[in-house]
Amino acid sequence: MVFNSYTFVLFFILLLVLHNLPFSWKTKKINLLLASYLFYALWNPPFILLLWLSTVVDYYMARLISVTEDKMRRKMWLAVSLVLNLGMLSYFKYGGFLLENFTALMASMGIVFQAVKPDIILPVGISFYTFVTLSYTIDVYRRKFAPEPSFLNFALFVTYFPHLVAGPIVRPEDLIPQFKEPRKATSYQMLWGLFLLSLGLFMKVVIADGWMAEPADFIFSLPFPVNPLDAWSAVLAFSAQIFCDFAGYSTCAIGVSLCLGFTLPENFRFPYAAIGFSDFWRRWHITLSTWLRDYLYIPLGGNRSGGFRTYINLMITMLLGGLWHGASWNFVIWGGLHGLFLCIERLIRGIPKRQKNTSLAEDMVIQATIIPIRSKNMSNFLLALFTLFLVNITWVFFRSPDFGSAMRMLLCMFGVITQGPKMLATPDMLKIAIVTVALFCTHWYMRDKTVRSVFGRFPWWLLGTIWSIMLILIILTQKSTSSFIYFQF
Amino acid sequence: METHDYKKAAWLALALVLLFVAGWEIYWRNQGFALSFNDDESLWAHNRKKIYNTAPGQPVIIGSSRVKFDIDQETWEKETGYKPVQLALVGTSPRPILRDLANDPKFKGTVLVGITEGLFFSADGSFMEDRAAKRLAFYPRWSLSQQVSFQLNHILESNLIFLDEERFSLNSLLKRLPIESRPGVFVFPNFPLQMGYTMANRQEVFSDAFMADTAVQHGVQYVWSYLGMLETKRGFSGDTLSNIISSVKGSVDKIRARGGSVTFLRMPSSDPAWSAEKQTHPRELYWDRLLRETGAPGIHFTDYPELSKYICPDWSHLSPADTKPFTKDLIRIIEEKNRVTLRKTSAIPKIQ
Repeated sequence: MVFNSYTFVLFFILLLVLHNLPFSWKTKKINLLLASYLFYALWNPPFILLLWLSTVVDYYMARLISVTEDKMRRKMWLAVSLVLNLGMLSYFKYGGFLLENFTALMASMGIVFQAVKPDIILPVGISFYTFVTLSYTIDVYRRKFAPEPSFLNFALFVTYFPHLVAGPIVRPEDLIPQFKEPRKATSYQMLWGLFLLSLGLFMKVVIADGWMAEPADFIFSLPFPVNPLDAWSAVLAFSAQIFCDFAGYSTCAIGVSLCLGFTLPENFRFPYAAIGFSDFWRRWHITLSTWLRDYLYIPLGGNRSGGFRTYINLMITMLLGGLWHGASWNFVIWGGLHGLFLCIERLIRGIPKRQKNTSLAEDMVIQATIIPIRSKNMSNFLLALFTLFLVNITWVFFRSPDFGSAMRMLLCMFGVITQGPKMLATPDMLKIAIVTVALFCTHWYMRDKTVRSVFGRFPWWLLGTIWSIMLILIILTQKSTSSFIYFQF
Repeated sequence: METHDYKKAAWLALALVLLFVAGWEIYWRNQGFALSFNDDESLWAHNRKKIYNTAPGQPVIIGSSRVKFDIDQETWEKETGYKPVQLALVGTSPRPILRDLANDPKFKGTVLVGITEGLFFSADGSFMEDRAAKRLAFYPRWSLSQQVSFQLNHILESNLIFLDEERFSLNSLLKRLPIESRPGVFVFPNFPLQMGYTMANRQEVFSDAFMADTAVQHGVQYVWSYLGMLETKRGFSGDTLSNIISSVKGSVDKIRARGGSVTFLRMPSSDPAWSAEKQTHPRELYWDRLLRETGAPGIHFTDYPELSKYICPDWSHLSPADTKPFTKDLIRIIEEKNRVTLRKTSAIPKIQ
C-alpha cells in the first residue's frame, strides 16, 4: 500500500478510529501490528513470510545473545542473525546481479557459462527492514540495548507500517520504548501529523510525480544523445524528483506516525543546501548514513587508524552504501563518487587555512557590491551551489539504466556531444527551472531551521491557506497510483 | 513563538479545499462536460481479468481507438446478451496484447483485432507498442492495494467530472497554456477538451458538443494532420513486414490451437484519412497478405455496403449515433463470416 492511494486513506481512517477507541494498550498494539501486516500484505502477500522469519529469528537470537556469556556462542548467535538477514537480502536483491557478473567473468576467461536467469521478485522494503532488525541484534550483541522481552513490542518495532517499506530506518531505541507506555496523539500531534502528511504528499504527488517524473523519465529513456540543455534539464528534474519522492515519503511516514502518537526520526534536513559532502550526508537519508556510520564505518576503524585507512574506510562505506541501493554497477559508481568527494573534502579540510588578509580583501570586494551579503555567507552559498552541482553529476549514474547511457548523458551535459536534438518542450523546461530554483532557495533558507519552527510562526490563516493550496494541488494533480522510487531499493 | 491555532488553520484549510472542489466541479459541469473515466492501467487491468469467461459472443476486443469508438458495447450486449471485453488502447499497436493473449495458456476465447495499418504494421519495440507494453507489464503487478484503490476511485469518478485526468488534471491544463515551444521540438498536440469521453467499460464516445460544433471537429482533424495521418509515405515492407506478419501468425496459431479464434477488423475511415491510408498501406500488400498468411478471417469495411456507408466526423471514428447500427451489422457479419452465433438466446437460429 502506498501513502498516495485511496486504499491508504480508508486504511488510515479506520486505523485512527481503532487506535482512539478505549481498548487496552495491548489490544491497540495488536491492532497496529495486524494493520502493519495488512499494509505490507496488500503488496504481495507471500513475502510476509520473510518478514515473519526475520522477526522471529532476530527476536530469539537477541535473547540467546543476551543470556550467554560465552563469547563464541554470542558470536555464533549473532552470525545466525547476520547470515539469515544478509542472506535473504543477497538472494533477493543481488542473486541475478552476482550470476550476471559471474557469467561475464567466466566469459572473459574464455569459459562459456550460461545459467538460467533467476526470476526473482524483490520483496518490497527488504533493504529497510533488514537494516532495522540487524541494528537490533548488533546492538544487543554490543550490550548497547537489552533485548526486548515482549515479542509483541519487538514485532511491532520491525513491522510498524509507517517506516516498514521505505524508512526512516529506525533503531531499537527510537521505537521500542515508545511501545511500552500507552500513547495517543494529542490534538497538536494529530494536526501537525496531518499537516506533515499533506506536505509529504504534495512533494510526492505534485512535484515528483506530477511535474518532474515525465521529463526525467523521457530523456533518460532515450537511446540517443540529446541537446546539452535537455540533458541538464533531465538531471535537474531527476534531482528534484528523487528528493521530493523520498523526502516526501519520509515526511508522510513521520506525519502518519505522529497521528498515532509515535515519533519517527528525521530523515532529511534540506540536503540541497549542503556545504560539502559530509554536510550532504548529514542531511540526506540521515537514518541510512548514520546506520552505515555506526554499523560499518566505525567497526571498520573509522578515522581512528590513520589518514590512509580513514580514506579506505570512507570508500568502502560509500561503495557498499551505493550497492545497498541496488544491484547495479551504476549504484556502485554513484557511491564511489560520493566516497571520492568525501575523501577530497577531508583532504582539503586538512590543508591550513589561508592568510587572514586575503579573506579581508575578499570581504571588502564583496561588501562593495550592491547585494547586502557577508563574505562567509557568499562563499558558503557558492560552496552549496558547487556541492549541488557535483551531487547532480552523481545522480546521472544513479538514474541512468546503464553505464553507457550515463556516460552519454555526461558527454551531452558538458558539451562534448552537441549535435543531439532538442527534445523537451518549453513548458517542461520552465517547470524544471522553477522547481530547481525554488527547491534550492527553500533549502538554503531552511538550512538551519525546521519545518515546524518556520510554519509554526505563521499566523493560523496563512498556515491554513498554504495547507489548502497544497491539498488542492494534490487533488488537481490526480496521480494516485505511482509508487515511491525507494520501494525498488 | 509558535502559533497554537492549528485547529483554526486545519478548519480553514478544509473549508477552502471543500469550497474549491465544489466550485471546480460546478464550473466544469456548467461548461457542459459529461462524466468520463480515466482509461488508466487499473481500468485496463480490471478488464484484462475478464478474458477467461469465454463465449463467442463475448470476444476480447483489441486494437486502437477505432474499435474503442466504433463497437458500441451497449448495442453488442443488447444484441448478443454478452458484454465484450474491451482491451484496445488508443494510438497503440495491438500486437503485444495479441501476443500476451496467445501466451496465456488459460485463454481460449475469441479475439477481435482492430487493424489501423499505420499502428498495427509498426516495428517491434516502436513507440506504437509503448503504451501496450506498459499495460502488459503493469497487469501482473496489479497489487491488492491498487485493486481496492481502483474500486474506491471508480465510485469517485462515477460522481465527479473534474477527476478526469486526461482533461482536467493540473498537468493537462498546464499543457494547454499558450506557451510557444522551442523550435524543432515535437510537442504532442492537445485534443479539444470537448472531443469526447470514456465510459466505465472503456467505450470511447464523441460528445454532443463535438458533434454539434464543426470547429471542435476541425480541432481533432488538425491533430490527426499534425500526427501525420495524411502523409502518404509507404509503410514497412520487406523483412520487417514479413517478421510482423509471421509473429502475428504465431500468435493466431497459438490461440487457435487452444480452441480460440481470431478475426481481424478494418473499421471505417473517411477522406482524406482513408485516401492517405490507401496509399501508405495498399490493401493487397497489407490487409490481404495478413489474412492470407495468418489464415484468419477478416472483415474490411469496404467489402460491406452496410459498414462503408458512414462518414467519420473526424475522418477516423464513427459518430455515437452511427456506432449502434454499425455494431448490429458487424455482429451479423461476424456470425455469417465465422459461421457461429454470438447470441445468448436461442431465438436466433445458429448458423452452420
